[in-house]
Amino acid sequence: MEFLLENILNLIGFIVGIIIGVFAYVGYKNTGSPVLFRLTIAFIAIGIGFGIIWGGYVIDDVFLQEGKINRGLQALGLGIQTIGYFFIAFSHTIKSFFPKSRYFRSVGILPLFLLSAMNIEHIIRSFSFILLVYGAIETFVSFLEGKQKGTLAVGTGLGLLAFGEFIAWYSLVFPESILYSISILLKISGLISLFLPISRLPLRKIKFDGLDDADGK
Amino acid sequence: MGIYRKQIEIVGDILYAAEELTIDHNGASITNLIQKANISHSRISKILTNLVSQGLLEQVDSKRACKYRISMTGKDFLKEYRTFSEFTDNFGLTI
Repeated sequence: MEFLLENILNLIGFIVGIIIGVFAYVGYKNTGSPVLFRLTIAFIAIGIGFGIIWGGYVIDDVFLQEGKINRGLQALGLGIQTIGYFFIAFSHTIKSFFPKSRYFRSVGILPLFLLSAMNIEHIIRSFSFILLVYGAIETFVSFLEGKQKGTLAVGTGLGLLAFGEFIAWYSLVFPESILYSISILLKISGLISLFLPISRLPLRKIKFDGLDDADGK
Repeated sequence: MGIYRKQIEIVGDILYAAEELTIDHNGASITNLIQKANISHSRISKILTNLVSQGLLEQVDSKRACKYRISMTGKDFLKEYRTFSEFTDNFGLTI
């Protein structure tokens, strides 16, 4: 059951992450907005992270048949996802603390992990939790200012992902319990909530050659 | 505390102003655009030159003053700008 839920979660995460990432990239190409560039990195990373873990499950299901994913592969997928969550949190940090600084807008800091695969997984999960909570809080604050339904849906999505991550972390204390399945369901709900406002926006591509010169970038 | 607009937001505001003013009139004057987009004369001149050279705005011949009208490309850009502005708004961010 958990194996199936993990497969569904990671497949949904992969699809949602890549779709939102591509949408943000189209926006970045058309407008040159650095915010959209950071969202592109964030969601492509989230999508790839989920995709790697999904691939790990598929490899195990088809070839290895051990009933569990390779720890290193899982740590790699979670690490890439965390980079994505970091970029979402980073965009909010820039908005909140560096509203005018061009330097801080352009600089990104990538976290580096040099520990064993098991330790890395726990550390990454806790980092993901903190970044998701931060992103959710900032999004909810923006919702209170703008009262837009889409912002509420994204904030709820990030909040559910954070809560799912917390339950997954907590399930280490009670292995083989229903907690892990609950965490997966929470994460699936979070990803769907994250995708809802984006699904309403039309996706098409128009090129504006040399627009960057026009807006002074 | 005042909120500073980004360059892309200023471009969006100018195009929006030009679109609104083009509906009723045969192009918008610089004064109209300054008032509608809330931007200084010294700043708008440079941006208008760039927007015309990029094909987002069209310069309309007028006997009394230089007027500007939003082009089809400009309308498409404005539509895209609004879409992606809404996209970033959903994340609690500004484009």
